[in-house]
Amino acid sequence: MTAPRRTRDRQRLIETLAGYGFAMPAFVLLLLTNIVPLLVLLYLSFTNYQLGALDWHFLGLDNFRKALGDPVLRRSLTNTFVYVAIVLPGAVGLALLVAVLLHRRKRTRAIYEVIYFLPVTSTLIAMATVWQFILHPKLGPVNGVLKALGFGEVAFLSEPSLVLPTLAAIGIWQLIGFNMVLFLAGLSAIPRDLYEAAEIDGCHSGVDRFLTITWPLLGPTTMFVIVTTSITAFKVFDTVAVMTRGGPMGSSEVLLYAIYLEGYQYFHMGYAAALTLIFLAFVLVFSILQTIVLERRVHYA
Amino acid sequence: MSARPITPLAALVRRAASLLIVHAILIAGAVFILLPFVWMLITSIKSPSEIFSATFTLWPRHFNAAQNYGFALEKVPLLRFALNGVIVCAGILVVQVLVAVPCAYALAKLTFPGRSVLLALVLLGLCIPIQVPALPLYMGLADLGLLNTYFAIMMPFFLSVFAIFLFRQFFKGYPDEIIHAARLDGMSEFEIVWRIVVPSAWPAIAAFAVFSIVAHWNDLYWPLIVVSDTNLATPPLGMMFFADAETGSNYGALTAAATVLTAPLVIAFLVARRRFIEGITMTGIK
Amino acid sequence: MRKFGMLLGSVALAGTIAAAGARADTTTLDVLYAFPAFAKFYEPIAQEFMKRHPEIKVEFRAPAPTYDDGHQTMMRTAVTNQLPDVYFSGFHLLTELTRTLEKRNQIVDLDPLLAAEGKEFRTKNYSDRIIALGRVDGKLYGLPFNASSPIMYYNVELVKKAGGDPDHMPDTWEGIIALGKKIKATGSDVAGLAYNVHDWPDVWLYHAMILQQGGTVVAGDKVTLGGPDIGVKTLTTFRRFVTEDGMPLIDWDQSRQQFIAGKIGIFFDTPARLRQVTDLIGDKFTLKTAVFPIDNKAKGGMPTGGNAAIITAKGPEKQKAAWEFLKFATGPEAQKIVVEGTGYLPTNLRATGPDYLGPFYDKNPNFKTVAQQMDRSAPWQGYPRGNTVRIWRAQREIITATMRGEIEPKAAYDKLMKETESLMNAP
Repeated sequence: MTAPRRTRDRQRLIETLAGYGFAMPAFVLLLLTNIVPLLVLLYLSFTNYQLGALDWHFLGLDNFRKALGDPVLRRSLTNTFVYVAIVLPGAVGLALLVAVLLHRRKRTRAIYEVIYFLPVTSTLIAMATVWQFILHPKLGPVNGVLKALGFGEVAFLSEPSLVLPTLAAIGIWQLIGFNMVLFLAGLSAIPRDLYEAAEIDGCHSGVDRFLTITWPLLGPTTMFVIVTTSITAFKVFDTVAVMTRGGPMGSSEVLLYAIYLEGYQYFHMGYAAALTLIFLAFVLVFSILQTIVLERRVHYA
Repeated sequence: MSARPITPLAALVRRAASLLIVHAILIAGAVFILLPFVWMLITSIKSPSEIFSATFTLWPRHFNAAQNYGFALEKVPLLRFALNGVIVCAGILVVQVLVAVPCAYALAKLTFPGRSVLLALVLLGLCIPIQVPALPLYMGLADLGLLNTYFAIMMPFFLSVFAIFLFRQFFKGYPDEIIHAARLDGMSEFEIVWRIVVPSAWPAIAAFAVFSIVAHWNDLYWPLIVVSDTNLATPPLGMMFFADAETGSNYGALTAAATVLTAPLVIAFLVARRRFIEGITMTGIK
Repeated sequence: MRKFGMLLGSVALAGTIAAAGARADTTTLDVLYAFPAFAKFYEPIAQEFMKRHPEIKVEFRAPAPTYDDGHQTMMRTAVTNQLPDVYFSGFHLLTELTRTLEKRNQIVDLDPLLAAEGKEFRTKNYSDRIIALGRVDGKLYGLPFNASSPIMYYNVELVKKAGGDPDHMPDTWEGIIALGKKIKATGSDVAGLAYNVHDWPDVWLYHAMILQQGGTVVAGDKVTLGGPDIGVKTLTTFRRFVTEDGMPLIDWDQSRQQFIAGKIGIFFDTPARLRQVTDLIGDKFTLKTAVFPIDNKAKGGMPTGGNAAIITAKGPEKQKAAWEFLKFATGPEAQKIVVEGTGYLPTNLRATGPDYLGPFYDKNPNFKTVAQQMDRSAPWQGYPRGNTVRIWRAQREIITATMRGEIEPKAAYDKLMKETESLMNAP
């Protein structure tokens, strides 16, 4: 009995129908949980709606004009960029270092992997108190070590110039394990014989091996890690909300936190909606650019 | 370039030195990582008066472990919170996979008009943190009377853009010939997805499962908004019973509770480790 | 919004486990409060209440993390018609909340209910000052449940070492600053005092310093912040805490931890933490409390922190049940439970008597301090036209800068006035 053969057109029709059918649930959810709320926000951003108000007015583009001249917004943008600028190289570079070092270990690998992954599983509420104590200028171990080494006290979370780097360090602490796992996966996909061939060709030191083989072949993974890390860093909120609440003097007020304050503390929903859209625009541009590059690199036969 | 001959002794020394450096770096990093956890564990067995003392003592003088853990387990329904965590994470995960797999397959293997639009929209979803749609979603759920239900906690997360991307990567690397052969055999696309492609994708799904569970076990922002019945509290919400702003907390019990609630995640990771790495590897992020 | 809701409805998946409330013949009261740790007195109070009123069931919603979060929840639930039956609102947000709810007809006026109990009930249980705390625009909307005014915690050993008398602490701020200076001089690692206005979540400690000098924060519809004399002196005093007494400018939790570790001599804080602080200090040093120093003995006062219970229930039956609960919660028995677990000021006059808190106060004199300054309690004012939360954030930044020495107190006062006014007039 011969199997039925599909004509090209029929195949195309089936693919189209299947495509739509398969994508339907995702698409519907996308609409409901992302697109429609966004449209609602868009509408709100043109009004002066306050939560609990019985009536509100149409404001046109006033909210956006206000945002452009708002020093608080500008400050939060700067803070966010500084945060990302520290976290990105830290979380990616250190994770790569750890992954490369761990990759060849046999007996100790499991222990190190678990250790480095632990922060990913931690609950921020408990960790916040822990970090506060560890970084305490008088009572904490970090300052204890600094004092023993002869340095003065450092108020990590209370000095306006130090609070962002401190939060960034904690951010790196949270992300290293996650990125490390991604890099380990990428590393394990590089065929061993490539290294052996390189050894024969005279490539002896670890650094040499890394530069000629590992780094280029790790390209796609690295790009993926960079994209996800930068998006995650841009969305920073929890540590600020729990640990510093934007202080001291607004020096740790990041974009999402500033928006949260506008909307949920001052109840200026309209303005907060406008700020949210501005935030989205930034992140979108950022990640579209990165994804285009990623797609190009990963596109191989 | 000819290789320079090295004496066996020199080779040994070089190897020992490099091992030393490698482990020194790894251990330094591990200290940085473990420091908060060590403090957390130690605080959970200390008595209240020892927790904040000017002299930093590592080991407690009075063991309070039984009281702290006892308090944490009895006074507060920790196990209930853990159960809620399991229900919520499992629910989210199941729907995420059911929704993402077909969509990823369609984006990877099928051609249809509007595919790139869909891809762009999906990418948009990746950039939207939960804080953004929170208020409209909240009001919509309130209108439907669905607030304060497991469904409300899970719903915004049913669509996982990350899953779609991950699976799409994997499916792209899946051999086309097998799919063609299956089509020739008369299998419908639906069957192809679930009977042929998915079974070989288990490692990728396992990998994603770990990501998803770890992410949603510790979710606080959204559950805080939609949950008003403590019986539905997820682990971090439950943790808030111990930590607050005005009257402060029983730090010993707080850290004890944190330990109890973190343990399942750690165990899950231990168990899934191998699958996890396999899964990422297979998605072709090489 | 309705259409959006319908949209969501079409995606209701199987597996929804809806949490069904208890449906019984009894009246169920849905109660919301802030600060989860307060469960330690809300729960027992509810238990006792239900014993006496078996026909009423009290159920607590998941508590809000802070007063501000609770306020947000109330605003949200007001819009979606999901209000609880009873809510304990922070005093500083009471005005904003009740005005919003009143416009929507979602709050109950308590005056008629209180009047129905008879004059004697009122005079026996509640002082005029306390009742005044729950009034908004002349109407009684909240029955004060928790009240507190800032008190002074201090380390007896450090005070003695500095040559002070722990039984007769200074009652003026000059005296306090001087004592703090001496405490700081006793050791390089010790700070004289801490007055954490720079990290306080609301205006409380700031207003306290103004009010105790006899100043006012608000006059009618205008904001005064004490006026130029008192206002500037307030800021100068804050700065002197840092320069003369070595006050560390750190997070308020870290600061409290430092006091508990014995590294700060005098610590100004809410009495609500007395129980917690006492436990955490243990036997590291002797803790005592004293009244907040008042410079203006005639007119000086302090803003009263805490919360009042409001009724947002619908229907006569529920409202009656809610009123019964409010009466019990502000009654002597319940207030005794509150005070013993925290350090709050009882809002019931009978609660301090020998039948209730008398013996407890005798054994734990530290807890009595806040009751001793009860007659200095003044209402805690928000700023006119709302926006209090936002205004405080801006003010706090200026105050912090002053304490760091980045602005002179006079310039800081001008800046404070300017920013407060512009934020008050902002939409």
